[in-house]
Amino acid sequence: MSPMPVDVLNYVLLSAVMFFIGVGGVILRRNPLIVLMAIELMFNAANLALIAFSRVYENNAGHIFAFLVITVAAAEAAIGLAIVVVVFRRAKHVDVDDVAGLHG
Amino acid sequence: MPTLIAPFGNADWLALAPVLVVAVAPLVVLLADLLVPRALRRTSALALTALALIVAGIVSLQGWGHPFSAFGGGFQAGGFTIVFQEVALLGALLSLPLAGRLGRDDQTGGGLALLLWSTCGALLMAGASNLLTIFLGLELLSLALYCLCALAAAPSAREAALKYLILSSTASGFMLYGMALLFGATGSAQLAALATGSGSHVLLALGSGLFLVGFAFKLSLVPFHVWTPDVYEGAPLPITAFMSVVTKAGALAVLARFAYAALPQADAQALLIPIWVIAALSMIGGNVGALAQTDMKRLLAYSGIAQVGYVVAALAGTTPLGLRYAMFYLVAYAFMNLGAFGIVGLLSRDHEEGSRLTAYAGLGHRRPFAAAAMTFFLLALAGLPPTAGFTGKLLILASSVDAGYGWLAGVLIAGTAISIYVYAKIIYAMYARRTGTAPEAQAARRPEPLRWLGVGICAVAVFVMAFYPLAPSDVLPQVK
Repeated sequence: MSPMPVDVLNYVLLSAVMFFIGVGGVILRRNPLIVLMAIELMFNAANLALIAFSRVYENNAGHIFAFLVITVAAAEAAIGLAIVVVVFRRAKHVDVDDVAGLHG
Repeated sequence: MPTLIAPFGNADWLALAPVLVVAVAPLVVLLADLLVPRALRRTSALALTALALIVAGIVSLQGWGHPFSAFGGGFQAGGFTIVFQEVALLGALLSLPLAGRLGRDDQTGGGLALLLWSTCGALLMAGASNLLTIFLGLELLSLALYCLCALAAAPSAREAALKYLILSSTASGFMLYGMALLFGATGSAQLAALATGSGSHVLLALGSGLFLVGFAFKLSLVPFHVWTPDVYEGAPLPITAFMSVVTKAGALAVLARFAYAALPQADAQALLIPIWVIAALSMIGGNVGALAQTDMKRLLAYSGIAQVGYVVAALAGTTPLGLRYAMFYLVAYAFMNLGAFGIVGLLSRDHEEGSRLTAYAGLGHRRPFAAAAMTFFLLALAGLPPTAGFTGKLLILASSVDAGYGWLAGVLIAGTAISIYVYAKIIYAMYARRTGTAPEAQAARRPEPLRWLGVGICAVAVFVMAFYPLAPSDVLPQVK
């Protein structure tokens, strides 16, 4: 029996779909919290691809990579939420289009 | 040797020594912040940070000629790494005199600790020779910078932090997915595995495309530059100065190592053509964008976009000579840019008033020394003699024509022509009109020896480098 009952191409395609949903979310959504979630989705798409490739080549490098990406993504989310709180502390609702004091 | 540390030999520690110094120093800074009396906190934090950066610089130089590697080939010391590490340390050190106003008094220690950790990320990137080290170095650099941007109380700083966070994280996402595909091409995270060219070509092309898009974002090359002026304008001045040199040094190190050592020889030139096109767009776009600016920090942001375009243009064709000239220009850029930021720092006292271009009208009559220094740095940024900017551009022109990229040399000259107008306009404003804003009260101005020291070092370096174009040799990047 092969170690990969599902063809690896499916995992990679799923990860590509996740990645583009993430990109779409960053571009289209106006709520910074959703934008941060979309960025997480991009990171996790990469994780899925890493782990799928890791199984193709039957080594651990991709797993280690994915673990470190998860750690970094957690740190990024923590800092991101802190900055969102600082920026929108006085606002009634959060919308990235309201953050437009700097331009030119 | 105990078995526990068997994977780490002495060479590993030697390769990592500068990184370790800068990684541990922030803990000392934070501890000193708790122990030192309140009145001395700012001074002690600044002194410790400067000390750590200088020690790391010396330690890094000790490694010249010893291309050690650590993390099983994930980090590679040697000439290439040392040059970029020194530029990053220099950028951090020379942005310190501006840091007198970084946050409130009780935030200085924390802020400088973050600055050191950010530098540590850049040092890691300088030597990173596997995808994982590149990612971790970049994220360490960026995560600390998001916090530093938000450190000032002004709403513009927080806005800058949010924009930087979202756009930079998106770029990281692109880069990371590119890395995943590159990993898929070979089954190894090592750059050396890519260089063999044995992997899937489709994954290699897609992966390196996404990877390079991510890095073009981080280097703020046109058309991925839109975030840069906003972030530079909003961030506190020392952080802007830091960002304009340290992040660019780190990202350029990765880009150069990737272009020179990681891509398989057969495909490299074809895969890199988009990067040379982006460099050409940056040289034009950065200078055209600078034309309409009314804020010095924004103007320097656009100028930085063009300057990085010049550095990347030097790499075109991936010739060994091009790399040496790119390094020379990067060092020159670090000095002239930090010098210009130093003058902005001297002119802005309590708030960011020194960054409005109107503050420069008639400066030559109010503060002749500051105006003369600013003129010198602007001439250097424009690439006119007798400055390192001129020498550097001449070398880049020579190397790009030599490498068969004559069109890039043409674009470089066109970009320079536009930039001369941008900078000449400011120089004219400084000397032409006698009045401008109300003259600053001479007595009220505090003496600022540290800032003048920083500006002086930059000016001397820019002048001396013009006559001694010592491009370092023995700096080709290694991957193991």
